[in-house]
Amino acid sequence: MAPPVRYCVPGERLCSLEEGAAGSGTYTRHGYVCAALAGCLVKTSEDGALPVVSVVRDAESQLLPDVGAIVTCKVCSINSRFAKVHILYIGSTPLKSAFRGTIRREDIRATEKDKVEVYKSFRPGDIVLAKVISLGDMQSNYLLSTAENELGVVVAHSEAGAQMVPISWCEMQCPRTHSKELRKVARVQPEFLQT
Amino acid sequence: MALDHRRVPGPEESQAPLLYAAPGEAGTDAPGREAAALRPLLARAGLLSQAEGSAYVELAGGTKVLCAVRGPREAAEGRGRLLCEFRRAPFSVRGARPRPGPATAARERELGLALQEALAPAVRLARYPRARLELTALVLQDGGSALAAALSAAALALADAGVEMFDLVVGCGLCRAPGPGGAWLLQPSEAEERAAAARLTVALMPGLNQVAGLLGSGQGGPPESWAQAVRLGLEGCQRLYPVLRRSLLRAAERRAAEGPRAVGASA
Repeated sequence: MAPPVRYCVPGERLCSLEEGAAGSGTYTRHGYVCAALAGCLVKTSEDGALPVVSVVRDAESQLLPDVGAIVTCKVCSINSRFAKVHILYIGSTPLKSAFRGTIRREDIRATEKDKVEVYKSFRPGDIVLAKVISLGDMQSNYLLSTAENELGVVVAHSEAGAQMVPISWCEMQCPRTHSKELRKVARVQPEFLQT
Repeated sequence: MALDHRRVPGPEESQAPLLYAAPGEAGTDAPGREAAALRPLLARAGLLSQAEGSAYVELAGGTKVLCAVRGPREAAEGRGRLLCEFRRAPFSVRGARPRPGPATAARERELGLALQEALAPAVRLARYPRARLELTALVLQDGGSALAAALSAAALALADAGVEMFDLVVGCGLCRAPGPGGAWLLQPSEAEERAAAARLTVALMPGLNQVAGLLGSGQGGPPESWAQAVRLGLEGCQRLYPVLRRSLLRAAERRAAEGPRAVGASA
C-alpha cells in the first residue's frame, strides 16, 4: 500500500489532459481533469500509455442500471404482453432501493419470438438474470431482455414450494412432486457448477 | 381541592424574562462591526448513519443547519432530478414559534426552490437518468444567514453521499444596514437581518469560479450597490471554501479508515 494517499473533493483540478486521461469519478473541463467525487485519488499507468486518473470511494453506493448491464431481478407480476420485475442486483452489487423493470414478450428469447408466451417463461417470484436494453421513455421504465442463452430464470419454486431443478432450456422439474413446469431457463455457467 | 377556572393559576410573584437572558445576548449586533468580517464556521460531513450523505454547518452566533441526502431512488420521470426541501425546526427562531400554516409552508417551499436552483448546476444530473436525489435541509437554529449555511451544508452532504458533482457550492449571506448610506454586511446575525433594508444570498462554485445562485430582496439602493454586494459575497464564499473542503477531506479519510476495502483498492 502506498502510504501517501491523496484525497480530493469535487471540483478540484487533478492534472492537465496531457498528463493523464480522465477515469471514473472525474470529468474534463478547459483541458484539465477535475474530480467529481470526494474520495481518494488513484493513478493507474500502463506502460507507454497515459496514466488514467480516477477518484474512488469505498462503496459503489451510487450505482444505477445502465444499458448493457446484467441485472438480477425478481418477477413480481406477469400478463400476456410483458412481465414486471424488480431489479435487485447490478452485476454482483446489491441496490439499496429496488428499481422497476419490464421484460416484454418479444424480448424473452431470441428465436421464434412470435410463439413466446409469457406464462410459459416466467412466474411471479422467479429470480431472473436479464440484460438492460433501454432506460425506457417517459411512460415505461427500464426495459430488460432475456434473449440470450445465459439469461433467463435461475431460481424458481414449484407449486409445491420446492426449488426446482433445470432439466432443459425451457423446462424445470420439481424434486418433490416430479412435475415439470415451463420456464425460459438460463444456461448454467460452468464456473457456477458444483461438482 | 376544587380548582377555580376563572382564576389565572400563575405564581404569585413574577419577574421580567430579561432577568434570565444570558449576558451578552442582546449585544451581539455591535454597531461598529467590520463589514467584511465572517462568522467562524464549523462544518462536519457524514454524521448521520441513516442517510446516504449528511452534513452539519454551524455559524458562530447560533445558526445550525443539518442536511441529509437520500438516493438515488427510482423516479417516475425520465430525467435525473434533484428534490430539495428546506425546513425550519419549530424551535429554530427566538421568541414565539412560527405558526404552521400556508404562509410558513410557502416561504419554506420558496427557499427549497432556491436551494434546488443553486445546487442543480453543480450536480452531474446527466449521470443519474431515471433517478431522483432527495435533499433535506433542517434549520435547527436560525441566527441569521440560514439559507447560506443550508447551501454549504447541502453541497457537503451531496459530496458525502458520493453524488457526482462538477464542484462544491458555497453560500454566503449579506444584508444592507438600514438608512440611506447603509453598508453591506457579510453573514449578518439574526438581529441585523431583521433590521436590514435588503438581503442577499450568493452561491458560488469556487473551483470553477461560477456563480451558482443569487437570491436578493429589499431596497438595496442603486445598482452599483448590488454589484458591490455580489462582489463582497463572492469574496466571502472564496474565504469560506477552505473550511468546507477540509471538513470533506476529513470525512473521506475517516470513511477510508473505516472501510478496509478502499485501502486495498487504492494500494
